[in-house]
Amino acid sequence: MKIIILGAGQVGSSVAESLVSEANEINVIDTDTRRLRQLQDRLDLRTVIGNAALPSVLRQAGAEDTDLLIAVTQSDQTNLCACRTADTLFKIPTKIARLRSADYSKHSELLDAKNFAVDFSICPEQIVTDYLLKLIEFPEALQVLEFADGMVSLVAARAVEGGPLIGHPVSDLRRHMPEIDARIAAIYRRDQPIMPDGNTRIEAGDEVFYLAATRDIRQVMTELRRRDQPTRRLMIAGGGNIGSRLAEVAQERYQVKVIEANEARARELGSSLNSALVLCGDATDETLLISENIDDMDFFLALTNDDENNIMAALLAKNLGARRVLALINRRAYADLLQADRIDIAISPAQVSIGSLLAHVRRGDVAAVHSLRRGAAEALEFVVHGDASTSKVIGRHIHELDLPRGASIGAIVRGVSQDTPGASLRLGQVLIAHGDTLIEAEDHVILFLASKDLVPKIERYFQVGLAFF
Amino acid sequence: MLSIDLIDETRVICGLEITSKKRLLEILARLLASAHPRLNAEVVFERLLERERLGSTALGHGIALPHARTKDVTEVIGALVQLQRGIDYDGMNDDEPVDLAFALLAPEEANDQHLRLLAQLAGRFSDPTIRDGLRQAESPAALLQVLNISSSS
Repeated sequence: MKIIILGAGQVGSSVAESLVSEANEINVIDTDTRRLRQLQDRLDLRTVIGNAALPSVLRQAGAEDTDLLIAVTQSDQTNLCACRTADTLFKIPTKIARLRSADYSKHSELLDAKNFAVDFSICPEQIVTDYLLKLIEFPEALQVLEFADGMVSLVAARAVEGGPLIGHPVSDLRRHMPEIDARIAAIYRRDQPIMPDGNTRIEAGDEVFYLAATRDIRQVMTELRRRDQPTRRLMIAGGGNIGSRLAEVAQERYQVKVIEANEARARELGSSLNSALVLCGDATDETLLISENIDDMDFFLALTNDDENNIMAALLAKNLGARRVLALINRRAYADLLQADRIDIAISPAQVSIGSLLAHVRRGDVAAVHSLRRGAAEALEFVVHGDASTSKVIGRHIHELDLPRGASIGAIVRGVSQDTPGASLRLGQVLIAHGDTLIEAEDHVILFLASKDLVPKIERYFQVGLAFF
Repeated sequence: MLSIDLIDETRVICGLEITSKKRLLEILARLLASAHPRLNAEVVFERLLERERLGSTALGHGIALPHARTKDVTEVIGALVQLQRGIDYDGMNDDEPVDLAFALLAPEEANDQHLRLLAQLAGRFSDPTIRDGLRQAESPAALLQVLNISSSS
């Protein structure tokens, strides 16, 4: 696919990095020569220096031949203007704009083909905030990701001694909870993936990925570990874009303290947040953390712009008695280093938000993608079309499918209406995948891939055949 | 069944120089839309893209058969493009570049006839002599002749 990325900032660079390895031809536009040179030194892509919304600059980047425009500059206005230009002058089929201000997304008519011509808008900060909220809600989980508009969830959790399923084969799940259906899609043991069958035994320390209807995920979790105390008190380090969004939503349900280093920003936040407590100070300051009762905190989230700062603050908080700590880490190498060690959860914002873009890069009708295990694995939601003759999956039982090793179907959502996405999606029915499940046309099939390398094979397998008219 | 009603020289381009699938579909859409004043090239382009998103229409051996339906036609219409150089069609590294594309635009209502036509075209293109002939053809008329579509047939 030929892709133009506007903006070589944090979002643009990480998008370029994720897409460059996948046989895509990428052109990055930015005004900052230094940033572009850094990208080009590291990745196999082309760059154009200039204003991303200018027709001549877009043309220079090959807009006429481009399939996908990803406008992720810091400026909503530039992104919008670029989409309009790309549509009118170059007929770029798919245009995605990053919109940080909620103002635009509130008026969806502004984004339609007659106006700014934005096919999809994304707000990485909001995606990360939603992701964090899930982790606050499910303190036992490492990751909670949604499919089919929230009907199905994929949960990653560490199995802990004392969970009823520990030491037992996976198939016991059904015996323990006859009313609830769930599927264990993958197990990572000492960082190596195991594709489980009914006889696989779960060990303490395993990182287990399971799929279930969203209403059942808490129940399934109790099989893997004893229930943790629910989250009550939160401390957020960093009142920036993500920290402030999170505080605003979380303050409704939790006791929230925000530590912000910049005095003016702290004051601004203090007046906009009505129940969260905003403190001006340094989150790596031991005395401040102690005086704010860090040992009482259920969850400490380090969300500043500075990786080192976040790591230090999270380590310190853990040391001082915070029950669970999380650090936002942009540099992938750092995140790899830290997860599951002394920091409970290390997340890379780019990894969390890349899925929303990958869904538009994947071939076939892909409704959702989540990048897992720091990009090594992936979960996809395919919508299957056609009939038994034009599709390789429709009209077959799951056990009849010829899926490559490392790929497994976790769940199916059936009866989702295509015409009014969102509203009527809730009418769909969640079917947890079993060998004898028959796949029907228009099913949303949710797959777990232990390796990203399986993606092309799976794309081909789930696409409609040539004869689909 | 491959008749002059399906395609004529005005909807054939020989030796086109382009470098992307997007441009190829855009040009095929323009050719298809030229068949009838009711057709709009942008809408046809959109239809072809929608179909392509659900699954590639590459046939192998450098051939693609992009197709779509629209309520704006009552009979199937076709367009053919021969490229100077093959282009990446599927975005998969192991695929052969596509240098011959036959596009079809069919009426909305489901009909076996369209499938038979698609199968028939696929059949013609699976013949290596026909593929060679098409690659060597130097005019729209010659292209149609290789496919055995001419006003006299």
